[in-house]
Amino acid sequence: MNAVDQELQILLVEDNPDDAELTMDALRASGLVNKAQWVKDGAEALDVLFGNGAAAECHRLRLILLDLRLPRVDGVEVLRAVRADERTRRLPVVVLTSSREESDVVRTYDLGVNSYLVKPVESEEFMKVVGELGLYWMLLNKLPGETR
Amino acid sequence: MFSAARDVTERKKTEDALLALKNDLENRVHQRTAELEVANKELEAFSYSVSHDLRAPLRAIDGFSRKVVVGYGDKLDDEGRRQLQVVRDNAQRMGNLIDDLLAFSRMGRREIALQPLDMNAMVRGVADELRAAESQRAIEFAFLPLPRAWGDASMVRQVWVNLLANAVKFSRQRPVAHIEIGGSRESGEVRYWVKDDGAGFDMQYADKLFGVFQRLHRQDEFEGTGVGLAIAQRILHRHNGRIWGEGKPDAGATFRFALPQPSAEKQLSGGPE
Repeated sequence: MNAVDQELQILLVEDNPDDAELTMDALRASGLVNKAQWVKDGAEALDVLFGNGAAAECHRLRLILLDLRLPRVDGVEVLRAVRADERTRRLPVVVLTSSREESDVVRTYDLGVNSYLVKPVESEEFMKVVGELGLYWMLLNKLPGETR
Repeated sequence: MFSAARDVTERKKTEDALLALKNDLENRVHQRTAELEVANKELEAFSYSVSHDLRAPLRAIDGFSRKVVVGYGDKLDDEGRRQLQVVRDNAQRMGNLIDDLLAFSRMGRREIALQPLDMNAMVRGVADELRAAESQRAIEFAFLPLPRAWGDASMVRQVWVNLLANAVKFSRQRPVAHIEIGGSRESGEVRYWVKDDGAGFDMQYADKLFGVFQRLHRQDEFEGTGVGLAIAQRILHRHNGRIWGEGKPDAGATFRFALPQPSAEKQLSGGPE
C-alpha cells in the first residue's frame, strides 16, 4: 500500500486483557495489527484521542473498536465524546461487546455508532468477525474526503 | 322506628368496614406493585451482567484453548488435542445455555404488541427458513388451513420456530420426515398443532416437556439446551394461551397450542382470512 501503512489507524478500547489479546490476534491474522493500538479504558482512550494537544492522535485514526463496559470512563461516554468533537464526529466507531441488551444497541445507535457487533464466544467465529470487520473498515469503507 | 335506626347504624358500620378494607387492599396493591417493579429492575440488572460477565470468561477459555491447538498442536498427541477439544465444546455449550437462558428471561419482560396475525403466511415463512437450513434433508410439510390469530407477531413467530425446529430435529432419523401443521376454532379459542413422525417421547415424562433446561433425550442423541418449549410456553402464557404435547417413543410427537379467539371486531380489522 503506501507510506502510512505502519501508522496508528485502529484504536482498540478494551479492558479485558484476554479479549484484547484475542482481538489483536485476529487483527494480526488480517495483517492489521501494526496499525492498531490497545488502550485499557475509556479515560486512556480519550487521552490518546484528544489528550496532548498537538500530539492528539485522532486525525490519524480510521476506526475505533469500542467495548462498552469499561472502568473509569465507559464506552458510551467515549462514544459521546467522540461524536461531540469536531475532529472525530465522523470517525467510524464499531462497538464490540459481550452485551446483547437491546438498550445498549439503541443507546449507541442514538449516539451515532457505525456498527454494533456482539463478540462471539466461539473462537473461530470471533477471529472471523474481528478479521472481517477490520478489513472492511480499513480497505473497503470510504471516509469523507476519500472518494475523490 | 328504633330498629330502623339500628339498621342504619349497622349499615354505616358495614360500609365503613368495607371502605377500610378497600383502602387497605389498594395500599397493598400499590406496595406490591412497587416491590414487583424493584424486583423487575433487579432481574434486568442481573440478566445484563449474566450476558456480559459470563460470556467473557467463556470466550477466553475457548480462545486460549484454540491458541494452544494452533501454537503448540505439534507438541500434543491425539489424546491431548482431543481433551482440549472437549474443553472447547463445553465452553461453546455453556455459551448456548447462557444465550438461551437470557432469551427465556427476555420473553418474560418484553412488552407485547398485539396485532392480527396471518398464521398461514407466518408458518410457511418459518418452514421455508428451516428447510433452507436443512437443505440436505428430505422434509415434507403438509399445511392445513389455519385460523387467524391475535398476538405479538415476533413472539408468536418464535413459538412456531421452536415447535417446527423441534419437529425437524427429532425427525431426522426418518429417510423422509413428515410434518403436518393444522389449526381449528374450538370453544372460544384458536388452536394449532404441529405433528411429526420423529423420535417422539414417553408420556410418562410429559410434565417435564416445558421446564427450563429439561430434556427428554440424551445430548448424544439430539443436541439442544432444553429451553425451546419453555420459551414457547412462556410466550403463550403471556398471551393467556396454553400449550401441551403428546407423543409416543419412536412414533412421533404432536404439540398443540391455543390462543384466545380474536373478537369479531378484531377479526374485521384484521382483514380477510
